[in-house]
Amino acid sequence: MNADAAVLFAPLAVRPAAFRRTPKRPMDEGRFEAFYRNTAGSLWSYVYRMTGNSATADDLLQKTFYRFLRAQPEIASDDHLRHYLFKTATNLVFDHFREAKRGRELVEPPPPEFRPDRNELRQDMTRAFAELKPRERALLWLAHVEGCSHDEIADALGLKSKSVRVLLFRARKRLGDVLTRRGLAPEAPHD
Amino acid sequence: MTDPLETRIDAWMQEFARFDERPRALPDPSMLWVRAKLMQSVVIADRAARPVTNAQIGSYLVVAAAWAALLMWKWQALVTWVRGFTPAHIVLGATGVESAASLSLTFLGLLIVLGSLTVLLAFHTILAEE
Repeated sequence: MNADAAVLFAPLAVRPAAFRRTPKRPMDEGRFEAFYRNTAGSLWSYVYRMTGNSATADDLLQKTFYRFLRAQPEIASDDHLRHYLFKTATNLVFDHFREAKRGRELVEPPPPEFRPDRNELRQDMTRAFAELKPRERALLWLAHVEGCSHDEIADALGLKSKSVRVLLFRARKRLGDVLTRRGLAPEAPHD
Repeated sequence: MTDPLETRIDAWMQEFARFDERPRALPDPSMLWVRAKLMQSVVIADRAARPVTNAQIGSYLVVAAAWAALLMWKWQALVTWVRGFTPAHIVLGATGVESAASLSLTFLGLLIVLGSLTVLLAFHTILAEE
């Protein structure tokens, strides 16, 4: 058992004024359940898209919430709690990749699992996304699906804020190239 | 968002994220809550028991060191005394009296004390595990 469970998370990208205005609330079971219902689905999707395996996503989702509850971060708003949750999940995902790499001498994560219930387009999109490196996937998902700011992304991935803009641009370009090669290139918006 | 690539990728990502890939329901939050609290109480119990565990380990080390010191102190006398029980010594009538005499009352007293401590520690460990 991790003896550091009581260490509180100290967010770097949080504006101090938000703390002063909003009183801190302890996380009781009722609040946790409400928070869980708001976040678990999107968190699972994020972890699934990162790992490509539903069983691994289930496992990492539970570990994320256990760590979250053990740490009991004293953060005021649900937005900040959500950010902390995704940061924890990201760390667990990358730990999972490192362990997989040690065990199997792989450089890239394994290919996404085959799901016969999915149509061809979904499978193609999944395969295309899986071609990206883990950090690129994380950057794109956090930016475009979770709507995280550059500061939040930097904090979640352990990067400098200034680097996020450049890395995100490269990730988008890389995804664009993958999609073009696979014939899935998104169309330009009609004006 | 003015960059065309960013706009296109954003649209693609939004469509991609809409696919629900979950093959089964999410775990029940109350189950996660109970398990997390259970883990927390185990951590707290482990921390509370740590001084006792450390004291136990320390006791074993002290007793082991005392046995080692006692045996080293009277090693020659013990070896000679043990050899006195070999058939050759018994037949030849070789005496171990001198060696036995060097195993003084102090030594015997320490032997009894250390033996008792060792038995007590063993009982403590067995009872603690039960």
